Amino acid sequence: MNVGDSRELRVRVTRSQVVRYSGASTDFNEIHFSDRHARAIGLPGVVAHGMWTMGAGLRVVTDWVEDPARVLSYFVRFTRPVVVPDTDDGVEVVYTATVAEIDGGVAKLTLTATCGNDAVLGAARAEVRVA
Amino acid sequence: MPITPEHVGRHFPPAPPYTVSRAKIEEFAVALGDDNPAYFTDDAIAPPTFAAIIAAQAWGALFDDEELGLSLNRTMHGDQHFDFHRPLKAGDEVVAQLGIERVRNRSTMDMVTILVELTVDGEPVCSARSTLMHTKEEAA
Repeated sequence: MNVGDSRELRVRVTRSQVVRYSGASTDFNEIHFSDRHARAIGLPGVVAHGMWTMGAGLRVVTDWVEDPARVLSYFVRFTRPVVVPDTDDGVEVVYTATVAEIDGGVAKLTLTATCGNDAVLGAARAEVRVA
Repeated sequence: MPITPEHVGRHFPPAPPYTVSRAKIEEFAVALGDDNPAYFTDDAIAPPTFAAIIAAQAWGALFDDEELGLSLNRTMHGDQHFDFHRPLKAGDEVVAQLGIERVRNRSTMDMVTILVELTVDGEPVCSARSTLMHTKEEAA
């Protein structure tokens, strides 16, 4: 891992994956399974959990360093929801991670997450132990 | 009475301990679509953001505090930060304690930064800091 190196990860999310995350996380907010509830608060339809979008994206880093125990910190701003259509294919989120700095055995990475034309996470960054 | 900067520093009694299980670690990793072998062995560790499950359970104290006037269904998650001191693993009995760190009152919204400290046997394992955007009732 060197400064400037980057990786990309494409993750597909379907309604069934969103339901699975509701159960695993015990976040049963109706906007994650009901179009009716999602529209009532101005969303176009069911959206993925922000914490799913954050958690699934960290894989771009943990696949890279292999051992997830190396992750020291992780920050994201939730900028736009990931709207998940009721189709077999769902929707794809594209994540990138780029090494911004390595100092004292710790790499600082900047992350992006894009769904269609929307940046769904902002100012995302992680620190990992590399030595 | 709404939440104000005067509430900064308020701490809530810890939530009952949460026991991490290997089954829940696997379930969570599968829900993230993450097949990293570290999550599927006898001495599995939890995916880093597993901490959010436990932290979110501590948020209940915030919404139950009538003085603050906060309602979960008018709340959006603005940002999330984790500092990981060590990975969570099966058998950990995790105590989560919530404190209010920052409050900014805006015209239609209150922005509340909360810090949940997760400890096992008194040792810190993760600090989970969240900014919650709470739409005021009169603006809804």
